[in-house]
Formats: sequence, structure tokens, C-alpha cells
Amino acid sequence: MPLEAELAAALEAAGRGAPPPDFAAWALRIFAHQFERNAPYRAFCERRGVTPATVARWEDVPAVPSAAFRRVDLACGPPEAVFRTSGTSGAGARGRHLVPCLALYRASALATFAPFVLPDAARLPCLCLAPPPALRPDSSLVQMCVWVGEGLASGIEWMIGERGLETERLLARLAAVEASGEALLLLGVTAAFAQLFDACRARGRTFRLGPASRVVDTGGQKGMTRPLSRPGFLRECWTLLGIPGYYCINEYGMTELCSQRYDSALDDRFHGRSLAPRRLAGPPWLRTRVLDPDTLAPVAPGATGLLCHHDLANAGSVSVVLTEDLGRAAGDDGIAVLGRVPGATPRGCGLLLADLEPR
Amino acid sequence: MNAETSAALLARLGAAVDARARLRRRPLGDTVAALAAAAARWRDDPALRAELPAAARLSPAMIAAVVPIAAEALDAVTMTKLIERTWGAGAARRPAPDGPALVAHVVASNVPALALPAIALGCLAGAAVLVKSGRDDPLSAPAFQRALAAVDAQLAATVVTTYWPGGDVAQEDAVLGRAEVVVATGGDATLAALAERLGDRLVAHGPRWSVAVIGRGARDAAAALALDVALHDQRGCLSPHAVYVAGEARGFAERLAAALEAVAERLPPGTASIEARAQARFLAAQAEWAAGATVLQGAGGTVIHEGEAAFRPTCGLRTVRVHPLADLRVFPDLLPTGQVECVGVAGADPTPLVAALRARGVSRVCPVGRMQRPPLSWPRGQRAPLFARRAEPLLEVER
Repeated sequence: MPLEAELAAALEAAGRGAPPPDFAAWALRIFAHQFERNAPYRAFCERRGVTPATVARWEDVPAVPSAAFRRVDLACGPPEAVFRTSGTSGAGARGRHLVPCLALYRASALATFAPFVLPDAARLPCLCLAPPPALRPDSSLVQMCVWVGEGLASGIEWMIGERGLETERLLARLAAVEASGEALLLLGVTAAFAQLFDACRARGRTFRLGPASRVVDTGGQKGMTRPLSRPGFLRECWTLLGIPGYYCINEYGMTELCSQRYDSALDDRFHGRSLAPRRLAGPPWLRTRVLDPDTLAPVAPGATGLLCHHDLANAGSVSVVLTEDLGRAAGDDGIAVLGRVPGATPRGCGLLLADLEPR
Repeated sequence: MNAETSAALLARLGAAVDARARLRRRPLGDTVAALAAAAARWRDDPALRAELPAAARLSPAMIAAVVPIAAEALDAVTMTKLIERTWGAGAARRPAPDGPALVAHVVASNVPALALPAIALGCLAGAAVLVKSGRDDPLSAPAFQRALAAVDAQLAATVVTTYWPGGDVAQEDAVLGRAEVVVATGGDATLAALAERLGDRLVAHGPRWSVAVIGRGARDAAAALALDVALHDQRGCLSPHAVYVAGEARGFAERLAAALEAVAERLPPGTASIEARAQARFLAAQAEWAAGATVLQGAGGTVIHEGEAAFRPTCGLRTVRVHPLADLRVFPDLLPTGQVECVGVAGADPTPLVAALRARGVSRVCPVGRMQRPPLSWPRGQRAPLFARRAEPLLEVER
């Protein structure tokens, strides 16, 4: 069985309750696989004098900067899908993530979404505040939403069309769901939620969605027309949609990664850890280190640095990605994202909406 | 730092203008002598040397290197030449001609001691001077005023130094509104806001960078250029961000990287924010994956050798792009208009380039190794240093 398929099976099993894969062992195995099959990555490692023979610890696997995805194709084989980063026109080349094994991405995405968003195993109807795959076939977020709709929800409706958020249709659907008392999963980009909130306020309309309704948003401030802090976002979810903060889950993902992190609030509450601080937690096959920009050594606990993700589910491309995000460790298993490096190219799924809107 | 009230500051300004009026018959030579003597005292101020590194976020060794450079710029011979060039022979024996009664300087603090040329130029123009310090150097201006008071109390009474946090519109309107000329350095948004309120009284200096060009005749230019890069930790508008090399650019890049290492041993970098350091990492990472680019990174800084010739400023922190240059004559065409302040030159005669560089907005051409030593006569922003109205943009070539 190819390595990616074997790992996909292991992640699916982990999603069903089996022990997760041994991170350290898999990390070294995957590095050898990538070194052998990914020529640009091999050249990058060799420039640093690093080969599988010299790497004894997973922490020593060389990290590729996310900027590299804008310059070269980093894959271990022919891609089953090519995902592109979102960005504003003219802001520089977009990154490309070639994914040779979609099953691995799917396994990781669903095995992480389920425990963090649906720890109660609820199957809810999903209103998706992201463009449908016909409009953005190259969006890794949209692909994940498709899988969530198919595998974890009772159905999915796409609320963004060619001209952006279809506000009237969305408000009508929310009104119908509110009347039914049914719980709902609202999933999409933060900027689209901000537009929904603006529309609610403009119309003086508020909703009390059914108990256990939940919000999953991603993308943060990117693509927004006005600033909206995280506390402000949570307040709007409660005030305008009737969804309490612990049912509001922020997702942190990157086109260059096949695994994601999620706000720990619902998972913590479900498992009796309601007093734990909010943080972005992830699956056991995704580890994030916070590194000093000069030395690329880990910073002191709690200090700010560059986020470097080691994602086993990226076995088909490059597993260790040094991001342009600044953050810090939070709790034993989480991170907090503090912002982007100044001057970094605007990107991210928050801009999915900006890409679509008429200029 | 407590900001002074507008009323108190206006009262001090009024007193300074009155003090200036009392000196209206004073020969400029006396002012020159007092400024030069004050600069020498300021240079040796132990409190300034002790406190400036932390305030300016530069290493003590760097402060020890740049303080004398700032003081030397207020040299009596240079100042005399400047006033005689501006107002004719014998200007030192005469009072300053009629000009603005009050000149206000809103100085940046990316580079320390910018208050010195501000005060000197205002005094030489025969004006009372207000200096509003930048956040990272609230020390140099009051220290210079103390030094001036020690050598010439009457002249020192014409100088007001102060600080208030940027963006205090009420304070700005009250205080800057009093001045006939306001010289301000800052970001585009800040300057645009000031321009709206001050109109043509504003002399604005926006963000600018510098470059160097190395001709085939250059020898040992790498060490001199490394010093230009390292001084002030590459924060100033005279700091080179790109080098255009006629000849073997890759070899020059390697020599420059080695020279930066050597300079860093003498002049260690100051502390930098996590954002700035991340930006440097990000820039190097981008370059490493760009076709045809080589990144030479070390403790002394980062040199990026790349084929693409268009000028792009780096993130600072001693980061320089080295571009090959096939033909010296096309060099001015590679520069964006209005963004490059100074061109350092080694191994080439800049004379044929001067007209084109002036058209690009360059105000200063000097030998590599002297980029961080601007004379007081530097026509910054292509404007006359002593506020004389000139139609043509100025460019000074230093040999």
C-alpha cells in the first residue's frame, strides 16, 4: 500500500477511536519519502546538508517557507488536486499546493472536524458561507466543506454565488430554520459572517436559532470591509443568531496544509474543561512549533514567534511548513495566532469573498 | 514622557521668537561658532551616550559610532561654506537675511540625532526653532540645547525642544500653526494629513531609501558599503537597500556578506521587534525560492543576489539586494521616481548620470562609505537646506 494511502487509513481509524499514528516515527518515514520523491524539496534540504540519514528527530526535518509554494510545485507525485491560495489581484503570485492523495486530505479533515465541531456526533443541516465548488474548484476550504456536507452533515446549501453573499436567500433560510427550531451548522469565511451581521443590523433582524446550532468560521480579518474583533464576532453570533460563544468555533487552516486547527471551546466544554482558555487545537498528527525568526529555534514557552506546522497529512507534498503567521503556544496543545508578518502577501480563505465580489 | 500643554508650549515658542528677534543684528559667523562648539560638547555628553542606546534601540557601540558623525556634520567650515553659498561671500560677517521667524521640525526617530541638523539649519536661517522629537530619540534635542546653552545662552533661548505622541491633532494644530515653515518627516498618511492642514508651509519628507552603484573600477568597495548598510542598522533614508554592480555581481555579493559579518563584530545590531525579524526571515525565504536568486545570510545581515533589476526596498535589518548591471548608463532607469534619496558610487564617474538621477528625485550622490555622513548642505528631498525658495530640484554631488 502506498505510504499516503496507509496513512489515510490510519487517520480514518483514529477518527473512529483507534490510537493515532506514532508522530515521530511517521515524521521520519515521511521525510524520507519526500526527500526521495520531491526534487525541489530534496535540493532545499541538500543545500542545508540535511538528508534522511542525518535526521534523527522530527524537529530536525527542514521546514519549507510557505513562500516557496508561490515559486515551485512541491509534490511527491502526480497531483489528484491542485489547490491555490486566495489573494487579492496583483498582490503577487498565488501559492499552489499539489495534493497527490485526496483521500489523505479527506481523512485528516473529517477526522479533525468531527471531534472539534461535532463532539456530540450531531448531523446538522449545513449552510455554507463559502463559494460552491463550481465557482472555486481550486479552494482547499471549499473542498473540505464539500466533504463535511457529504460526510458529517445532513446536507449542505451554498450561500455564496457569483456576485458574493446571497444575503436575502440566506436570511430567508435562517428564518425558516429558526421557525423549525432545528439546529443548524453555519460554516464559512469570517468575512461572509461579517456581511451577514451587517445585513441583520441593517434590517433590524435577529434570529434565535435552535439549540446546539453552531458556527464555524475561518479566515479572520482578511477580506473584511470593517474590523471585527474576535470578542465582537462572538457577541454578534449571540446577539444576532442566538448562538452562544462555546458553539462558535474558529478554524485555522492553510491551503498548504491538509490538517487544520480548531478553537477548543466546544471540545473543552463537551469534555468538562469549560474553564480552559480558548486556543487553536489540532489533531495528533499536526504539531506546531513557535520559532525564533533569526535562529529557527523554539522560543521560550508563551513567547511570540513564527508558526511552523508539521503536518503528517501533507505526506504527498512537504510536511513542515514555516508560515508567515506570528503566534504563540497556548495551553499544552494549542496555539494562538497573533497576526501576519508585516509585508506578507495578503492571502487566505477570507479573501474568497473578495475574489468574487465585483470591483 | 509627559506631553506639555499647548498653552505652555506656545508660551515657550513666543519667548523663543522674542529671543531670536533680539539677535537679529548678530553676525552669522557667531552662530556658526556657537553651533560648532555646542556640537562638540553634545558629542561628549556622558548622559546622552549612556541613555541613547536603549531609547534608540541601537547597540552602545553603534551609538558610540554615530554620535561623533552627527556632531561632525556641524563643522564650522562646512556651515560657513553653506551660508556663503546660499547668501554670498562674506555671509558669515552679516546677520541672517530676513526669513521665517519660526521653523518647526517634526523629526523622525528611525535615526538618532536628527534634531542636530534641524536646530542648526533653523539657527543659520535666522529663525527660532521648534524641534518635536521622535519617540525613539527624545534625548538628542534637549541634550543639544543644553550644550548650546552652555556656550551661547542667547542662541539657546531661540530653540524649543519638545515631545508629544504622534497623532495629537490638537497639539499639532496649536503648535505647528504658529510656524512659518514646518519640516516634517513621516509616513505618507501622516504627511498627507499634515499637508491638508498646513498647505505650502509644510516641507514634507516621506519614506525614502538609498542605493549604491559599483563600477568596474571599484576596489574594496564591499567593506565601505557594508559600513553604509550597517550604520543606524539600515533604518535611515540614506541607508542603501540595493547595490547595482557592473561586473561580477555574485562575487561582490559574497564580499559584501563577509564585510557585513566583519562590521557586525564592531557594530553589533540593536534589538529588533519580532515583526521586523520575521519580515527579514520572510524576505530571505521568498528570495531563496526565486529563480536565479541566491541568499547569503549570516549574523551580519542578509545579502540577496538576484537577476531582477527593479529596485525594491528590503525590510532593513542590514538586508541588501545585489543586482548585476550590464551598462552603467541604464542605471538611473532602474530607479523608481521619488523614492531614492542618495546614490553611493564606487569605481565610476557619476557625472554622466547626474541629470538622470536628478530627474528620478535623487538629492545626493556621494562616494560609497560616506553615505551615512551627509553634510549639512545636503539638499534633502531636493530642497534648499536653508529654506530658500528654488524652482529647480537640487542634487549635490560629493567627491
